[in-house]
Amino acid sequence: MEPLIEVKDICKIYNPGENEVRALDHVSLKIDKGEFVAIIGQSGSGKSTFMNMLGCLDVPTSGEYFLNGTDVSTMKDNELSVVRNKEIGFIFQGFNLISNLTALENVELPLIYRGIDRKTRRELAMEALKMVGLEKRVTHKPNEMSGGQQQRVAIARAIAAKPPLILADEPTGNLDSASSKEILGILKGLHKGGRTVILITHDNGIADQAKRVVRIMDGKIESDVINEHFQE
Amino acid sequence: MGKFAEYVKMAIQNIMANKGRSFLTMLGIIIGIASVIAIVSIGEGTTNQMNEEVNDVGAGQIYIYCSTDAEQADEYITEEDVEAIRKLEGVEGISIASTLMGDVVTGKGNFSLYLTADTQDAQIINNVDMKRGKFFTEGDVSEGRNVCVISDTDARRLFGTDDVVGMQVDVTCYEMTKTYTIMGVSTQKENGTFVSYTYEGAPVTMTVPYTSVEDMAEGMDTFYSITVQANKQMDSQEISQRVVNLLEQRHASSGKDYFQVQNFQDVLKLMNDMMGIVTAFISFVAGISLLVGGIGVMNIMLVSVTERTREIGIRKSLGAKTSSIMMQFLAESAILTVIGGIVGIILGIAAGFGICSVISSTQGMTITPGISPTVIIGATLFSCAVGLFFGIYPARKAAKLSPIEALRRN
Repeated sequence: MEPLIEVKDICKIYNPGENEVRALDHVSLKIDKGEFVAIIGQSGSGKSTFMNMLGCLDVPTSGEYFLNGTDVSTMKDNELSVVRNKEIGFIFQGFNLISNLTALENVELPLIYRGIDRKTRRELAMEALKMVGLEKRVTHKPNEMSGGQQQRVAIARAIAAKPPLILADEPTGNLDSASSKEILGILKGLHKGGRTVILITHDNGIADQAKRVVRIMDGKIESDVINEHFQE
Repeated sequence: MGKFAEYVKMAIQNIMANKGRSFLTMLGIIIGIASVIAIVSIGEGTTNQMNEEVNDVGAGQIYIYCSTDAEQADEYITEEDVEAIRKLEGVEGISIASTLMGDVVTGKGNFSLYLTADTQDAQIINNVDMKRGKFFTEGDVSEGRNVCVISDTDARRLFGTDDVVGMQVDVTCYEMTKTYTIMGVSTQKENGTFVSYTYEGAPVTMTVPYTSVEDMAEGMDTFYSITVQANKQMDSQEISQRVVNLLEQRHASSGKDYFQVQNFQDVLKLMNDMMGIVTAFISFVAGISLLVGGIGVMNIMLVSVTERTREIGIRKSLGAKTSSIMMQFLAESAILTVIGGIVGIILGIAAGFGICSVISSTQGMTITPGISPTVIIGATLFSCAVGLFFGIYPARKAAKLSPIEALRRN
């Protein structure tokens, strides 16, 4: 089977020259469709840079990145926007909802940029909100919801357009333990439903919830193991 | 197109989310557009009113006078010249209007007098309406009869009534007294906005055949200036040229510029040009306020971009292209300026009517604001242009943000 993600020998260098910082140093990684991977590392380890690469928010200085068979490492801004829209659903630590839009409108956003008509858009967004159990909160604005609910809206937004890859950056970082558990449960559910989920975290406890754990340190992959404690 | 509607919707959502700020931003545009529209419409209205009144008085009139060179050469327009000009095609009448100063004594007292010596054509040239009796005729002029025409106002001042046809009045000019028979009473015109016909304590005016005063003063058989009434349908420029040619031929003075022409059309054009310049200048000043309004829009949009950096980052991470962000922000500034423009047009028209009615009632005039579609379309297009022009810079700034940078900021 062709891997969903194939990273070949990528480097990301900031401030090229004397004070250069190698945020990523010859990293290679393959992730197949349907995997549930945690990428773990301390702050400054390069995991955020790696997440930006995987999420097509940034391009590597050198190396290749094939996402779903396409080389995205040399793409321009506008092409990357299209790839992000089609291939990736983001879940951020700070939820990143737009505050003057309702839950439903937030979930609809990626569908708008994909050019889906109003009716279909509404259906897809409602479906996604139902999956995260928020069908009764569609008209609420972010500040009228709890952190856990906001993150569920963000998950709904990530899955509404049915992208093959879900990229969650510290999704539980701003949440209490009960909400964290809930969110992780939803992510597990998505994996079970056949989606590829990548979880970026600094927390071993969170990483333990994933099926495969990739550890990053000093811009290099330190270990890449199958999690023996994984429970569906 | 479907996407465009989405950007407009996003823009409206954001404008509505910041109602107070959006209104203040629009206010700059509103004031700018409204003042331009108000000034142009008042200017237009004043010009129209002026043209109408002045046209009423003097359309198709050509004023011909002798230059200083002609005076030195002792060349003046003669009675024979007048008769010759009268025969030209397109000439409908000639007025001489030489005025003698004098006195008139009646039972009501002693009045100073302007004795206007003229031809029978003075009636058409001065647009005289007769209230009683008749204006003097060609026959009265050729016979040099001592008859006169007086306005109803002056008749009342002299006699206390305007029923004076047939009455006789003693007129003294240059120590010579003559008895004139009043043969007609004209209706005194109301003062217009720009043309005044009477004033308090003005001397009374009597119009008499010029032939009747030739013995009262020196040189009353030659004229320094004449007014030719041209056919209003014809080109007065051409007719004035014909008159000058004829005069030069009769005085054998071709090329000496003895006879000068002041065409009424020229005067009118000069007046209109001046009004135009004044209006243009004030509009220019108002236009500056529109420019300032536009800069206000740009300023607010820049603030908005800074405030919404994170939102831009979110949208970009979800797949918004540079052009999508650009369109969203441009739509926002365009909507602000277009709404401001529409409100401005309405307020401007209202202000135009308001100010005109205040002027009309306080100054006893009637000025109707001239609202031309050109100005309204122009103002609308200009406000759109301001919105787009001043919207582009902030929109580009928003669109160029990198999503990582934008997401990192809080």
